[in-house]
Amino acid sequence: MRRLLIGILLVPGLTTQAADDDSLIERGRYLARTADCAACHTAEGGAPFAGGVPIASPFGTIYGTNITPDPDYGIGEYSADDFYHALTEGETPSGRQLYPAMPYTSYHLMRREDADAIYAFLMSREPIARAAPETDLSFPYNQRWGVAFWNLIYADALEPDASSSQSSAWQRGQYLVEAMGHCGECHTPRSWTGAMDLDRHLEGGSLAGYRAPSLEAEALADRGWNRDDLAHFLKHGMSPQGSVFNEMFPVMHHSTQYLTDEDLSAMATYLLGDTPPEARRIEPRPLEALSDSARRGRQSYLDTCAGCHGGDGQGKPQVAVAMSGNTTLRLEDPTNLLRVMLDGIEARDFPGFARMQEMPGFAAHLSDDELADLGNYLRETWGGRPGDIAPGDVANLREHNAHAAP
Amino acid sequence: MAELSTRPLRLTINGQAVGPVEVPDDLMMIDFLHEYQGLTGSRLGCGQGICRACVVILDHDDGTSEEMRICITGAHFFNGKRIRTIEGHAERGDDGDIVALNPIQRKFVDHFAFQCSYCAPGFVNAATVLVERLEREPVARADLEATIDRALGHHICRCTGYVRYYQAAKSAIEELGLVKEG
Repeated sequence: MRRLLIGILLVPGLTTQAADDDSLIERGRYLARTADCAACHTAEGGAPFAGGVPIASPFGTIYGTNITPDPDYGIGEYSADDFYHALTEGETPSGRQLYPAMPYTSYHLMRREDADAIYAFLMSREPIARAAPETDLSFPYNQRWGVAFWNLIYADALEPDASSSQSSAWQRGQYLVEAMGHCGECHTPRSWTGAMDLDRHLEGGSLAGYRAPSLEAEALADRGWNRDDLAHFLKHGMSPQGSVFNEMFPVMHHSTQYLTDEDLSAMATYLLGDTPPEARRIEPRPLEALSDSARRGRQSYLDTCAGCHGGDGQGKPQVAVAMSGNTTLRLEDPTNLLRVMLDGIEARDFPGFARMQEMPGFAAHLSDDELADLGNYLRETWGGRPGDIAPGDVANLREHNAHAAP
Repeated sequence: MAELSTRPLRLTINGQAVGPVEVPDDLMMIDFLHEYQGLTGSRLGCGQGICRACVVILDHDDGTSEEMRICITGAHFFNGKRIRTIEGHAERGDDGDIVALNPIQRKFVDHFAFQCSYCAPGFVNAATVLVERLEREPVARADLEATIDRALGHHICRCTGYVRYYQAAKSAIEELGLVKEG
């Protein structure tokens, strides 16, 4: 009887404990989304968090590691302290330095309780006894002691902004953008050492032959972004400004589509500021006002683009984005536009049964002259940019692509 | 809408020189074939380059050929170029009537590959491009199935006649001696 009584008394305690665990795991699941762990640690078609995603770096291919609780191949032997240390300092319990493809320079700003929640979530996953592929970098980048040296210079450089004059949404957004989302890892230019050039924070970086555009408020507004559209873009991968493509697609696919509207709005608030600059509207420039190059480009547009993007650049829903209002056309640097025209974009499924069909690349069908003229037509007509693309710019990108790392 | 502006178009269709014809700047090639040339065999399906019922063959000067989706490609893209349409494959007599199907068409008929036939022009043109590629470089037996799948796999048949299309293409490729054994 006494035992029974104790049993009854214990049950509520156990239930509360279990509920706490569940809620901690659920919090960790969401935070792992915000930190986009899956982007590097879940291979396409592979088991969740079992690693194997190839990450191209200028120094060679780095593979995302297995972060399931498997004791041999994963992080099963990690304590919460070990996990926090690896996340924020880039060092494993055995003292091995992680390559800075692991964005610990950003996670450095992560709060301990959030790291613990992610730890609880990952430890609740199924252990996968599978080794991720070995990273094979060329000398001297395969020298991990070099990474320790690199850390010495840079890893402490990012400090949280303690300013309290900003709104709570702005501060939440700052944490999501800087610490969890580690947006700066791609959108901040990197120096020759591979470290982020923190004097040029979020001014735009380079990634696999594409530009990760500037996320500064003025630059975003200049490219037509306002808070609602930016939040919508992160949630749905589409907005009047265009659709996510290239390396930003997996970010939306694995991470931002799962964030709450409140958090996405907070991210947009942080990026554009509590008092955002007004999004610039661009009226299409009429044919008569275009350069000779752009006028020549118009016929290529009608021949190869208008079938999907529309004669007036209006686009087709679920098929191809509008050119009118398109943010990529507004970038000062035409690299992304030219890359897309050369290489195309693969078909993609978007949240909510939406999709964008494949865009074919035109490298084989249009000459350097024709692509330069076409790019100038697009930029002058809808981008508010001068038609300053030269055929040599196209040739350089072709050449670069031919030598691009796999 | 911009005013209707035209420019001259000159090209070769099924071996016949065409033009110069004044054609609107923004006319799609499928409309040019249908409305200006009376060649209605190329089918308008999705109108967005997915189903490939509209595919014609573009011939290059180096002897290679490729598929072109003409529902999303403007007529003027083909200025100065050579194309073949579904109307160009069969052998015709002096009066223009068809006297014999070409071997690929024959195989498609033999295998009952056409059901409603709406997608057939695209499939025949794609199979023709594939056969011409294999004539330059035959395929190993082990790669045959995957090669046909890659070449025809993007084409959509709403009657789901894929197995018969596959069998027809395979039979044509084998009979034309384009498979490397061993």
